Order: sequence, then structure tokens, then C-alpha cells
Amino acid sequence: MSNAENAVADAMSTALEGVKVVDLMWVVAGPTATRMLADFGATVVRIESSNRVETARSIGPFHDNGQGPDHSGLFGNMNANKLGLSLNLATEEGRGVLLDLVRWCDVLCESFSPRAMRNWGMSYDDLRQLKPDLIMLSTCLFGQDGPLSDVAGFGTMGAAIGGYIALAGNPGGDPIGPYSAYTDYLSPRFAAATVLAALDHRDRTGEGAYIDQAQAESSLHFMSTALLDYSVNGRVPLPCGNDDPVMAPHGVYPAQGDDKWVAVAVRDDSDWSRLCRAIDRPDLAADRRFANAVSRRHNQADADAAIAAWTAQRSAQQAERELQWAGVPAGMVQNSADCLADPQLQHRGHFITLDHPVHGSTTVEAAKARMSATPARYRTSAPPWGRDNDQVLRQILNYDDEQIAQLAIADALT
Amino acid sequence: MSAMLSPYRVLDLAHARAPLAGMMLADLGADVIAVEPPGGSAARRRPPFAGDVEDLERSLFWWAYGRNKRGITLDLDSRDGQALLRRLAQSADILIEDERPGAMAARGLGYDQLRPSCPDLIYVSVSAFGQNGPKAGYEETDLILMAAAGPLILAGDAGRPPVRVSVPQAWNHAAGEAAPAAMVALHARKRIGRGQHVDISAQQSVAAASMSTILSHAIGANETSRIAGGMAVGPFRTRLIWPAVDGHISLTFLFGAGIGPFSQRLMSWIHECGECSQEDRDLDWIGMGALILGGQMDISEWDRLLDVVGAFIRKRTRDELFDEARKRGLLIVPVTTVDEVSDSEQFAARDFWRYHDHDGWNAPVKLPGPFVRVANSPIEYRRPAPKIGEHNAEIHAELGSSDAERQRLAEAGVI
Repeated sequence: MSNAENAVADAMSTALEGVKVVDLMWVVAGPTATRMLADFGATVVRIESSNRVETARSIGPFHDNGQGPDHSGLFGNMNANKLGLSLNLATEEGRGVLLDLVRWCDVLCESFSPRAMRNWGMSYDDLRQLKPDLIMLSTCLFGQDGPLSDVAGFGTMGAAIGGYIALAGNPGGDPIGPYSAYTDYLSPRFAAATVLAALDHRDRTGEGAYIDQAQAESSLHFMSTALLDYSVNGRVPLPCGNDDPVMAPHGVYPAQGDDKWVAVAVRDDSDWSRLCRAIDRPDLAADRRFANAVSRRHNQADADAAIAAWTAQRSAQQAERELQWAGVPAGMVQNSADCLADPQLQHRGHFITLDHPVHGSTTVEAAKARMSATPARYRTSAPPWGRDNDQVLRQILNYDDEQIAQLAIADALT
Repeated sequence: MSAMLSPYRVLDLAHARAPLAGMMLADLGADVIAVEPPGGSAARRRPPFAGDVEDLERSLFWWAYGRNKRGITLDLDSRDGQALLRRLAQSADILIEDERPGAMAARGLGYDQLRPSCPDLIYVSVSAFGQNGPKAGYEETDLILMAAAGPLILAGDAGRPPVRVSVPQAWNHAAGEAAPAAMVALHARKRIGRGQHVDISAQQSVAAASMSTILSHAIGANETSRIAGGMAVGPFRTRLIWPAVDGHISLTFLFGAGIGPFSQRLMSWIHECGECSQEDRDLDWIGMGALILGGQMDISEWDRLLDVVGAFIRKRTRDELFDEARKRGLLIVPVTTVDEVSDSEQFAARDFWRYHDHDGWNAPVKLPGPFVRVANSPIEYRRPAPKIGEHNAEIHAELGSSDAERQRLAEAGVI
């Protein structure tokens, strides 16, 4: 960008400035979606109560392996850039504050079990009386109705019941699955896109929207081909380790060091030739056993042994460099220390350091999108309980000392 | 009521790797035009195929991610094709491409080249490692990307190679980020009066699937590592996937303020069945983490509890466990296979699935349904994925191309 453009970007850098969001969500799937909005300038008021501790606060990774409500790097990553209001929704006074925030906001997001908001008299139809053009997102594992809608659901369960766990594993072995709460990583993209579409629609038409997201349903769109293979061909896709229907060899090979590995994928015959030269085995390029993908798959054990013999003599990083230099898709299997040191992630500014009231400083991930004119901004770490009560109650809701004192006496701000 | 994004047009050049992004915008109501080379998208050559017949009109990948889109063919490597794309871009709000960094610019179709004639255009580039940086030119596949940002090392058995999901995921993560990012830029356009370039890295997008463990080293936490059916952090291990009589279940078994109460309820059930002691049931399931950390509870005690739970589950069927879990509010569900997902009572009760007829296939094709329900603006499945060049005539007519011009482009192999 030119200097003039930078100046314009600086002056107008917030895409979503003025968008007001009340965030009644927790753990990962919900808060990830509102973090996207906050990164691009929306004002997000995250409501929590210390009476019912947000689960993410008790899940690692933990700062310096310690314990405490503000030690969770997961919570910190999900809630950076948000304002924190502690509010006890079990009290009528606490719910009164929430209703005032509904009048103020554009978007209300909640991820309770389906009954909670209805039981408080805060269904979409109720809240629309206060705010006719309200956009409300209700997100939970199975959606607002159906026989399983009462199942308390985390993304670990979404991964199981959505078919993901069964789709990762070694042939004939126990299911392995992708790591942990997989549907929590997928569903926020659908939620955020829909909320932003609803906001745009409201800006043009004045109409609000009620969005019912079943995270398990949204997430099925990441495995559509497997679902169609079953519904169209009657085939139940089974896990095949790291094998691939087109590419061979295709796997993860040991490198020097403890739990160090390098992934290698041979897309076609010319990749195979390049690989053979790179690992000093030009003889294999001419070997009829490896002439094409079908024969390479048939003789994969021999091909794998040749590759592993080479990777095992190198660091994963060195193997990645040499193979990429030769034009072969390869990459070290990175843990968090590798990612932090990865020159590409560094170049992209993936790790953001923020001041933190307990730890001095903390690290969160950057927004995934780099935007030329309205880049994400990183202002504040995730809030300890009630960090921003004053700002929310006085500046946003214009409460006076007397009102705030009454709320405190009613135990509404815990 | 009209669909939410009905005023907007999207050019979807990301058909080979990241077509999910355009699909999300198309589902929300945008007019999405898939722009393919005259010979058809590379996506059409990707297995599986309907009836296992390798045919450009039978790719299940294309059927799934091409729905609700119109299709036009044009050759981006010819001058006429490039001119046509520039004309199309002038009519579009959003362009999404997933070429290698620099490939669009080499054709004169990069963001900076299109911007003078399309200042309002939101130009979304989805690439493996981002548009720039030391690895921007790397060769990539799904496996390489899953390896590059955290999730792969976490999945598998200790001491054995980590394992990916057998249905490729990495580019869906990137496409999933691209759609809301395009929407952010659409809102920004109202404020700043012009479009911008949105640069999405699949590597960074995939990092979301590490559940923030990618931050471990930066905040002084132990690395999380993989063990069969679960995870380990330092000396601490737990299971997430457990063998039952007739398959596996997912059970999140952990202590602490969030999960501890669920574990306590599970232990009550186990105790009622006479399969654990009262002392085990009455442990401090909320404060256990501090006890272990403070040395008041030995880590081997925790491992013993894992064994108690494991033995209990191994004696019961998936249905027994799931039924009781629903009554008691436990974090247990069965590990289901793709056929069970497709035949699930829950998804059927919510009327989730949708059906499209595809020419040349004898039955309606069952597709995963709306990714959200929007009460007054439901996601409609308006049209099946386009055949090669299906909407060429229609779109040329909208652009005002003359018949003679179209004839000439067709003869030159541009469309």
C-alpha cells in the first residue's frame, strides 16, 4: 500500500465499528464467532458469572502450567478484544441489565441449552418486543428442536456424533478422530458469516433475524463428499490412516528427535521422480514397481521404507527444506514450539502479544484474514471477571452510582 | 422475503480447492458464478464419483460445493478470457480465487490490476500459506497443511505417526474463514466507500483446529501430545474416546469448574451400579486440578480413575450409555459412522437434508442441508451444481455480449 492509502486505512481501519454485540456464549464454538467480529471493530460485551464458571477458563493450555480463572490460554484466545461484564443471570436484577443491553445492541448471541432463554422469558419473540430489528443467534450442538436438542453438547461430542471421529484412524484400528472439540472449530465460520449477512440485510431492509444454528449440522458441510459417497454410492467411507485415493506415497515419516515427523505427499509421477532424486534414490524413479500411483500404492511399504530411511537421518525442518527445494510437497509436523518459530507464521504475524492484568503479557492468535484496508486490531486481552463493568454500566448503559449500588446489593454483578 | 445476500454477485474462481466459501455466500442468497476453464474445473476430476464412473459431470465434490451457483466457462490464460473476466468483475461485489500466489497477477488479473476498473470489488485470495512470506511458494496438499499449524501432531497414538482425517479438511478451513471475511469487507465497503484485498492463509486457518494449543509454548505451558483415544499434557493424560461393547463412545472426562460436575454425575452412576467406591464418587471433582498440581493427589490416582471409568464403559453398549447419559446429563455420545449420521433421527426430525436432481443420475441426490436456520429468510437450495458452461448464454446475455461475440469466443475455445 502507498503512504496515502495507509493513512486512509489508519483513519478508517475498523470495518465493523458501531456494530454492537451482546455475547452470552461460552467455551469455543460461540466465542470464536464473536472474536472475529471484535477483531474487526465490533463492540462485543461478553457476559459471564463467577457463579457458573465458564468452562473454557478450566481448559488448557495454562499460563506457566498454573491454575486460576485467568490462566487459560484457550479462554484468552477466544475472548481477546471483548469487554467483560460479570452478571448473575439467576437474579432478576441481572436479567434486567441484560434486557437493557438487548435494547442497546444490534446482535445478541447465546449458546445456552435450548430451554434457558425461553425459561427466562427471553425467546426471540419476547426480545423482539424490546428491539424490533434485533438479530439473535442461538447456537448449540443440535439446534433448538429435535429429539436430541436437550443433549448438553461440547464439540468433542459433535466430533463423535457428526462422524468425524470415525473418519480418522488407521485401517482396522480404533477410531482416532481429529483433535478434541472438532465441530467447535468449524461451526463459528458459518455463524459469523450468517450474522454479518443478517446485519447487512437489516441495514437495507430494517428487518431483524433469528438464527438457529445446530453446530453439528453446520459442521457436516466439511465432510459433504463422504456423506454423498454414502447417499449416492451406498459406500460407508472408512478411515485409511494417511493414505489418499489419488496420491501415493502419502504419509508421515519419522525425523530426527523426539516425536518429530515430516509429512510427504506425492501428487503424481513427476513428484515421484523429484522425490527419488531428492532422497538420493534415482534408481527408484526407474523402478517399475513405482511407475504410477496404483503400483506405488501396491508397493507402498517399500516406498515408505525408502523415504523413512532418508527422513530419519535429518531434522524435520531440514527434510522439509530439501524436499520443498526439489518441488515435492513436504512439511514438518509442527507442535506449538515449532509453530511459534515458524518463519511463515512469524511473517504473517500469527502470534499477537497483548498486555495482561495477571500475567503481564499474553499471546493470542491473530485474525485469520489479512485485510488491506481495514486490518484487524488487537486492543485488549480477554477480560478477567467484571473487568469492564464500569465501562459497560456507566458508558454504555448510562447507569448512575445509585443504580450500580442497587445491582451490587442484589448480587447481580457477580 | 428475499434471501439475505440477494443484492450481491460473487465470482467464484476458487472452485478447485476452496469452493465452500462461495457455497456459503450462495446459500445466504448471493448470485455466485463459478468461473471454470472450458475443460471444466479440476474439482470435477476429484473422486468420489457418482456410480464410481469418472466423469466431469459426476464429481460428488462438485455436486456438494457447487450447489446454488451458476456456472460459466472462460479461459483465464487467453486475452479474450481475461477481458471477459474483467467485464464480469465490474458487475461483481466479491471475487474469490485460490490460485497460487502470483498466478492471477501474471495474467493481469491480480487485485492491484483489477482495482482501477473495479474500485468497489472485494477481492479474496485463498492460498496455502498466504500471499507472501518465506513459504508462500511452497508445494502443498491437505496433509502438508494439517501438519503445518498444530492439529496433525495431536491426533493419533503415542509413538506412531500422527493421522489426518480421511476426508480432506485444510482447504475447507480456509474457505470457511474466507466467507465471513468477505462479509466483513462488505460491511467495510459501506464505511470506506471501496473494496479491498482479503488474504486468507490455509495454514493459519487450520490452526483453529488445535483448540488453542498452538499457544502452549508462547504462554509457558507444556506441549499437548497425542495418546490413543485421548491427550496428554506433561504427565497428565485423559481419554476422549472410549471402547464400549459394540463400538466406541465419546466421553469428556475431566475435573474443574466446567467439566467436573459432569464427571461427578458419571461417578454417581458408576457408584449406583456398584462399580466404584463411595470415596471415588465423593472426590473433589471441581478442585482436583489444584490438588494434583499441589501434590495432595498423586497423578497415579487420576490414572486409576480413568481405569475405573474405562472398565465401566467397556461392559456397556453405546445405546445403554447414551440413553442413560441423556437422563443424567452426562457428556457421552456414540462415535457414529457416516451412514449413521446420514440416517440419524435427529437430523431427520429437523428436516435437515435436501435433495437435488442431477441430469444423468437416476435418483435425487441427498445433500447436507441448511447450515443455519434463519426464521424469516431460510436458506434455499435453489439449483444443483452447474454443468460445464451451463449458464454461459444466460450470463453473456446479462453482460450484453452480442451473439457474434459469443460465437467468436466459443470458436476460439475461450468459453
